[in-house]
Amino acid sequence: MSELVIKDLHVSVKGKPILKGVNLTLRQGETLALLGPNGHGKSTLLSAIMGHPSFTVDSGSITLDGKDVLAMTVDERSKAGVFLAMQYPPEIPGVNSADFYKAAMNERRERPMSLFQFFSGLQAAYKEIGIPFEMSNRNLNEGFSGGERKRNEILQMKLLDPKFALLDEIDSGLDVDAMQIVAKAIEEEEAKGKGFLVVSHYARLYEMIHPTRAAVMVNGRIAVEGGPELIKRIDTQGYEWIKTELGIPVEKEEGPMNKVSIGVCATKEALGK
Amino acid sequence: MEVCLVDEQIKDLEFEVKEDEELKLSLACFETFKNCEINVKVHKNGKIDAAFADFSKGSGTLRMNVYLLEEGASASFHGACLCGGSDKKKIDASLIHEAPHTKGLVSNYGIAQEEGKLAFLGTSHLKHGTVSSSTRQEAKIIVFDPTSDGRCDPILKIDEADITASHAATVGKLNDDHLFYLLSRGLSEDKAKRLMIMGYLKPIIAYFPESMTERLTAAIEGGVAHD
Repeated sequence: MSELVIKDLHVSVKGKPILKGVNLTLRQGETLALLGPNGHGKSTLLSAIMGHPSFTVDSGSITLDGKDVLAMTVDERSKAGVFLAMQYPPEIPGVNSADFYKAAMNERRERPMSLFQFFSGLQAAYKEIGIPFEMSNRNLNEGFSGGERKRNEILQMKLLDPKFALLDEIDSGLDVDAMQIVAKAIEEEEAKGKGFLVVSHYARLYEMIHPTRAAVMVNGRIAVEGGPELIKRIDTQGYEWIKTELGIPVEKEEGPMNKVSIGVCATKEALGK
Repeated sequence: MEVCLVDEQIKDLEFEVKEDEELKLSLACFETFKNCEINVKVHKNGKIDAAFADFSKGSGTLRMNVYLLEEGASASFHGACLCGGSDKKKIDASLIHEAPHTKGLVSNYGIAQEEGKLAFLGTSHLKHGTVSSSTRQEAKIIVFDPTSDGRCDPILKIDEADITASHAATVGKLNDDHLFYLLSRGLSEDKAKRLMIMGYLKPIIAYFPESMTERLTAAIEGGVAHD
């Protein structure tokens, strides 16, 4: 059984530390729900595992069955069995969807698939995800709605058949029906023994895909790990208890907050009165 | 009328589009870059749609001047250019609006790789009295290697108030997020870049006669030197 092991991972963006020592292990067959307030490093962790160039790994390790993931290029990570469904999949002008999927699938085979084999598989996947097959002839994500892009990510996950799928807010932008289709597709892949690391703010998706474990990321570290009951607790109580029970102060998102709003005396605010 | 010129057929040329006539002029350069000047005069309600696809080696300037002489004349120029090796190429497509209700568009896409230097120039001149005319210049170059260079210099010269004119120019690298997306699905960097470039240059094919599709596709696919 495959294992993705993250040890004492420190990651920064443009010199600003975001992850400050993440320890996490994901096994095949598990679905791990990753929770935490906004801006505490959930997406950063997922992007760092995949190898996004904007994120610098300062120290720590990521291994897949003992192999050093950090030494791999992005495409090598993909071929090793890691898949990231992105929060905001970009539009790629001029790149035809079907051509791209074929190229990506052939990268992991010794001999290229026959066109018949490819198109019958592709057609089945489109049907299952509930997007019209004609869309395979469009440019990648170009003119797709938010929900269509998310479904398209799940479609690619099915086509590429990774060992571990990292899903970054896959449920945002999905309506109820689409969410059910996506959840069903995830459940099927869970049954096949894939490992999932799922970031979402909503208990609804988690209820549909039944995570086996949950972890809460606070201040760039995993603050708590536990069973799926953690999800319910956060859904009903929020993150305040982490501070009171565990003594971990939850840092607020930094950023230039404009304190002045309508109805406030700007001069007084500026003077700090 | 449709005119498609390939390689040696591209040279200094003059065209005249008569009243209510339409000319589709497509130029494809696969072998050696042609230093030349093409002048086109367009009369009342005449129209020229020009396209230039260039995958050649060599340096020089291709200049095209379109004179929109009478009312209702219109012109478009679409270019796609690949500049590699140590070649220096200039594409200068200029539109001279001489009459009211004339319309023009210049749209160029290019890739500069290795030590190639590519420049898109072009002046759209709206002369006095060209009321209700519109003109647009757009140019985009992707600079592939640290040693390659791209320059976009669209110029608008405007002597009339009652017109619409716009220009857009970008020189940049391949988009990092786009590249990451393709890589994250397992494509090698070379393949991913090749796909992006193909997507960038392929739209030019639509401006050529169908008989050219295969040759142009092969040139675009074979165009990225990196392997």
